Amino acid sequence: MENPQVLADSSQGLSVFMPILILMVLGVVIFWGAVLVAGLIRPSKPSKLKQTAYECGELPVGQAWSHFNIRFYVTGLIFIIFDVESALMFPAASVFKKLNSIGLGGLALIEILLFVMILVAGIAYCWSKGDLDWVKSLSSKEK
Amino acid sequence: MTDNMPQFFQELFHLETSDCLTFLFYFIGAFILVNIASVIGGLATYAERKISADMQLRIGPNRVGPYGLLQFLADGAKMLMKENIMPLMADRFLFNIAPMLCLVGIFATLAVLPISGNLTLAHLDVGVFYVVAISSLVGLGIFLGGYASNSKWSLLGGMRGASQIISYEIPVVISILSIVLLSGGTSFKTIVHHQGGLPHEWFVLHNPFTFIAFIVYFIGSLAEANRAPFDLPEAESELVSGYHTEYTGMKFAFFALAEYVEVFVLCGVGATLFLGGFNVPFGLDTFLSKTPFPLLAEVVQLGAFFTKTFALYYLVIVIRWTLPRLRVDQLMSLCWKYLTPIALFNLIGTAIWMVYFHDQSIVEIIKAAGSHAGGGH
Amino acid sequence: MLVVAIEKERTFEKVAIVSFLTILFILSALLMLVSCLALLLTKNIMHACTFLLAALLGVAGLYLTLHADTLAVTQVLVYVGGVVILMLFAVVLTGGQDQESITKEKFPHLAPLFGSKSTFLKAFLVSMIFFVAAASLLRLGEKEIVHVVAVNYAPTIQSLGQLLMTDYLFAFELVSVLLLGALIGAALIARPMKK
Repeated sequence: MENPQVLADSSQGLSVFMPILILMVLGVVIFWGAVLVAGLIRPSKPSKLKQTAYECGELPVGQAWSHFNIRFYVTGLIFIIFDVESALMFPAASVFKKLNSIGLGGLALIEILLFVMILVAGIAYCWSKGDLDWVKSLSSKEK
Repeated sequence: MTDNMPQFFQELFHLETSDCLTFLFYFIGAFILVNIASVIGGLATYAERKISADMQLRIGPNRVGPYGLLQFLADGAKMLMKENIMPLMADRFLFNIAPMLCLVGIFATLAVLPISGNLTLAHLDVGVFYVVAISSLVGLGIFLGGYASNSKWSLLGGMRGASQIISYEIPVVISILSIVLLSGGTSFKTIVHHQGGLPHEWFVLHNPFTFIAFIVYFIGSLAEANRAPFDLPEAESELVSGYHTEYTGMKFAFFALAEYVEVFVLCGVGATLFLGGFNVPFGLDTFLSKTPFPLLAEVVQLGAFFTKTFALYYLVIVIRWTLPRLRVDQLMSLCWKYLTPIALFNLIGTAIWMVYFHDQSIVEIIKAAGSHAGGGH
Repeated sequence: MLVVAIEKERTFEKVAIVSFLTILFILSALLMLVSCLALLLTKNIMHACTFLLAALLGVAGLYLTLHADTLAVTQVLVYVGGVVILMLFAVVLTGGQDQESITKEKFPHLAPLFGSKSTFLKAFLVSMIFFVAAASLLRLGEKEIVHVVAVNYAPTIQSLGQLLMTDYLFAFELVSVLLLGALIGAALIARPMKK
């Protein structure tokens, strides 16, 4: 079996991402290093009282989470829709200037306008139906 | 401007290119940047205490070091020696991981921060996009920290913090998109290149839409960093201390450090996008780069960048000690009902301006109209 | 340091044995595999979500090794910054984090596949996995060694944007309609029922 051809180094430009990797690793190393050093210096006398959760001096009552608040989840859903929209808008917006300079500016404008307007319609719908309200007002139920 | 930082230094010291040297320069640069960012975070706590003291007619810290400058070192040493208390029912793994997520998320954004023309660590083509994406790790860290403490206050603070951060990401990103439209690229190099040194050449004064976009970005970044008036997740008077109630010692120190460095990064990105970044007025940096000391040009650019960033940071601190805290429903309605529609309106407005006026700023239009009126001379 | 110094006197072309690409690939793949394994074997659902987060970060790193920088950043933005947070919200809001594991099985996630009765199925599946692994390692069935052409990294965001605005415009606009549908559907489902 002949030796496979060795892959030439195709990462000449990719090394621009090296500092990101280095910084992430540095972050992890610094965190655990500091915690380790602190572990050698600090006292460690755990007691039952110290380990209970803090509730302004009273003893904690009940489990941590009891009430079902759906508004957090609705906020997250609306956020993720706009997140995907902005992720698609970034490439489109970065060529807008170039398209504008060669005369296709009006066309690009209409494309971006259409994209944004459809989502504005969506957020208008959510607004009118009260999904964006943090506290569902009681007065609207009485109407 | 050379392609990247190791190449700049290799040309400066007349060394030959090699992988080993590239890695070494990147590592030393990253290490120095991390230290500088941590010192800035520490000095920011000192600055906050001094500025708030000034506003409240007090003196503030003045014991440790000259004018109390070394106060942050004393605070750091104190937190190193505090006992690491973990609540009994806490989730051990997530309790330890949460501050690390915040820290790693923020340190990773330091890589692309455009501090100067050649000293930036990584000239990514997806620069702004990358900063927005990676800073979402901080929100995750906050949520996991709040959950892992297994305390009612922490969980509520964590959930509020996470939903606040993700909600305000939208107006911030859309404001950034207006600038990306104007500069024709997401790379920080392109954005700074399209601005000049003097204020009328900055993007903030380019057209009224980017001016409003700057205000929206600034308000949004205050909320992203959980700074007052949006500091409900860590409100002292309401949730004890929110998501970091149960944290002690070094883990709490890293939460606080991550927050202060995050404000610095957001101010730095704002200064780059809207205030001209590391551009120096009157072309001083291009003049200095031709002298036998090209490092002077970098120093001058660093000075410009840090001046603008610290001016924004000062504004952030003053706002904290001036305005009262927003209630959580006011906070959410501000984001979704006010800032997001305004940001979308700015985006469309900027696009229309670019098509109609062919990328000219207001000043250029006035100049062109003036010369036209004066006989085209 | 893992970078190996290359002797310059020899005449064969310079080969970096450990380049940044290799290190990035190894780290991303390790991160992804280890977190996927941990995700399958843990009993705590919040831990599982955190390991999913790490696995998605690993996938983003793998995208980067394929020179797809925009895709990697989009992956982090949408999945890590959005989907994982949404999953965590859903688990906490429905009280899922307190639930005990319903079965007494050691690895409850794998129970449907490796049920207690089907020994034959277990043996068959395990032997299939071993066969595929062995075949790929020994390179059975390959006719010739593929010669890979080295390509330099070029940023992709501008070309992606250009394609979106010109060739794939219809798909671009259709995505916004899809997002609108998702938004309305989600808001509809999450609305409290009228009494």
